[in-house]
Amino acid sequence: MVLLKDIVPTPTNTIDARFILLDKGDVVQDGNATISMALVADETASVHFQLWGDEYQAFEPGDIICLTGGIFSYHKGNLVLRAGKKGKVEKVGEFEMVFVESPNMSEIKWVRDPNNSKAFIQESIISPHSRIFLPSS
Amino acid sequence: MNTSTLLRVGDHDAENPIDSNLRLAFSSMKDHHKPPYPLAVPSPSEYSQLTRALVYGILTEPHLANTHLTYLHAIVTDGYSLFTSTLVSLSNESYPKLLETPRSQLLWVSSKLVQVEAVNVQELIIALLRQIKGGNFSDTNLWLCSEIITILSNNWAWLLDEPLVMTSALFVFLRLLSDHYRMSGSEALDKLKRIEVAFTIRVLSDCFPLCLCIGRDLIRLLQDLVNVPEFKDMWLKVLFDPGKFELSEFRDISQFYKRTTPSHYLLLRITPEMEAHLRFLLNRVKWGYEKRYQVWFSKKHLCSPGSETSIIDIVRFICYAHQPSNEIIHPNVTPRWAIISWLLKFCRKNYLVANVKLALFYDWLFFDENVDSIPNIEPAMLLMVNSIDQHVEVTNNLLEFLLVLVDNYDVKRKDIIAKGVSTSFSMLVRKKVVHSLESLSSCNFLSPVLREKLSSVILGAVKKSPMVCTNQVETSHES
Repeated sequence: MVLLKDIVPTPTNTIDARFILLDKGDVVQDGNATISMALVADETASVHFQLWGDEYQAFEPGDIICLTGGIFSYHKGNLVLRAGKKGKVEKVGEFEMVFVESPNMSEIKWVRDPNNSKAFIQESIISPHSRIFLPSS
Repeated sequence: MNTSTLLRVGDHDAENPIDSNLRLAFSSMKDHHKPPYPLAVPSPSEYSQLTRALVYGILTEPHLANTHLTYLHAIVTDGYSLFTSTLVSLSNESYPKLLETPRSQLLWVSSKLVQVEAVNVQELIIALLRQIKGGNFSDTNLWLCSEIITILSNNWAWLLDEPLVMTSALFVFLRLLSDHYRMSGSEALDKLKRIEVAFTIRVLSDCFPLCLCIGRDLIRLLQDLVNVPEFKDMWLKVLFDPGKFELSEFRDISQFYKRTTPSHYLLLRITPEMEAHLRFLLNRVKWGYEKRYQVWFSKKHLCSPGSETSIIDIVRFICYAHQPSNEIIHPNVTPRWAIISWLLKFCRKNYLVANVKLALFYDWLFFDENVDSIPNIEPAMLLMVNSIDQHVEVTNNLLEFLLVLVDNYDVKRKDIIAKGVSTSFSMLVRKKVVHSLESLSSCNFLSPVLREKLSSVILGAVKKSPMVCTNQVETSHES
C-alpha cells in the first residue's frame, strides 16, 4: 500500500493505494467506453483518478476505495491514476477517512530523472491543488 | 461480479466479512444442517460453525427456516448466546444493506428468540430499535417499526422482566410518535400510530416507576405529544396531578428534571452508521476541512423528506452523548458548536427550530453541578458567543429562546429553571469555557431588553414580568 504523496508516474500497473473519493466530473465518451475524471485523496495528497465504464456509477463522493495494481500515467495528456485493464478498484468503506487536497500529484510537472532515464522526478508544482476540482474550503 | 443472498452488494463492493464468514460456515457445515442430522454431539468449534450456518440458513432460506430453527433448538447449549450475538453484529454493522428476505427473516427469528428468552435477546431488540430511522416514512422503515412493536406487544410478560428493553422501546416510540403524528398518513401509518399509542400508554400507565430512570428527556418527548388526545390525560397527570399515579416514588415532575438521561437512551435515536459518521466528524476531521464531510453526511442522513427532524436527536447526541475528550487530544478538530450551527441551517419549520433549540438548551434548564456536567451545556454557549461577530442574529435568537424558556417552560417551577440557567452561566465562566459573560451582556448588537433580561437571569433574580418577544415558543408546556 503506497501513500498518494509517494506515487510517481510509471508505465506499469504496480500501485496499491487506499483513498477517499472527493468529487466526480462529467462522463465523456472514449471510443467504446465512457470515462470520467474524479478527485481522490488520502491523508498525504490528492490525485486525479480516472473512472472507467461502470466505475462511474459504482462510486460516489465519500466512498473509500481500495486500488490494487493501479497505474499513474499520462492518458490523453492528463496525468491520472486509474485501475487500467489489469488493476482493480473496490469500495471498502464510507466517510471515515481523513484527507488533504494539497499537494495534488496530477498538478506536478514531472521530468525524467537524469540519473535514471526510466524514472520520473518532480520538477515543479503547477498548482498546489486540483485546477479541475477546486478545494471546498 | 459479487453476489450475495444476504446483503445488497454492488459490483465494485469489497467482500463483507460477516457475509463471507456466515456463507462459509453454511457451506462447510452442509452435511450437518440437513437431514439426516448427525447424532454425534458437535465439538465446540463445530458448534460455533453450525450456529453460524443456521444463522445463514434461517436468514436466506425462508422455506426451510422452521426446520433450521427446530434443529437450532435441538443442539443449543449456550442459551442461544452465539446465535443472538451474531444477529446483533449483523444488525449493527449491516442492517441497511440486508436484502428484503433476510431482513424479514431477521425480524421473524427475533420474535422466536424472545419467545425462548434467548441469552442476549435484549441486545438484539435494542440493536433493531436503533435501526429505525427518525423522520423516515419509507415503507421499509415503517415496516420495521411495526414488526418490533408487534414483537414487544405480543411478549408483554417477557418485557416486564426486561426494564431496559421496556424503557428503551418507550423512549424510541414516543420520539417516533411525534414525527408520525405530524404526517397525515396512509392507512398503514394510521394503524401503526394506534399501535404505538397503545404500547407507549400501556408502558407509562403500568410501569411508571420504571420510566423515572429515563430522566428529563422523557418529559421533553412527552411534551411534544401533548396535542395527541390519548396523551393529554397522561400529561396533565404528570404535570399537575402526580398523586393520581398513587406511587410513593413519584411526587413531582421535578424528579424527572433533576435526573439526567443516560446516554443509552439518546443513542437509541441515532443509527450506528450515523453515530460512526458523527463521531468521526467530531473526533478526526480538522476544522476547516469539514465541508465535504457535511455534504456527504447530509446526503446520506438528511436528504429524505422529513428526515430533518432527526436533527433534534443529533443535537441531543452531540451535546450529551458524545464525550469531547478527544478535542483535547486533537485541538484542531471541528468543534461541536460549529456542527450544531451547520445543522441549524437545515431547520426551516418553526416547530423543528424550537425543538432543536430546546434539545440544545435542555440541560441548561435543570443544571445542577452535582449531577450535570459542563461539556453538555458548552456547545450552546460557544455557539452564542462565536456567532456574535458574523451571525449575531443566531446569538440573538438563541438567547431570546433561552430567556423565554426561563419564563415560560414551566411557570409553576420557574425557580428551578431560573436557577438552572443562572448556574449554567456561572459554571461556564468558572470553568473557563468563556472568560466572562461580557461579550453577551455588553453586546450592542443584541436588543437592550434581551441584555437586561440576561443580566437579571445571571444574577439569579428573575423578574416576574413576561419578556417582550417576537418568537413564539412552541415547546412551552403551556402551548
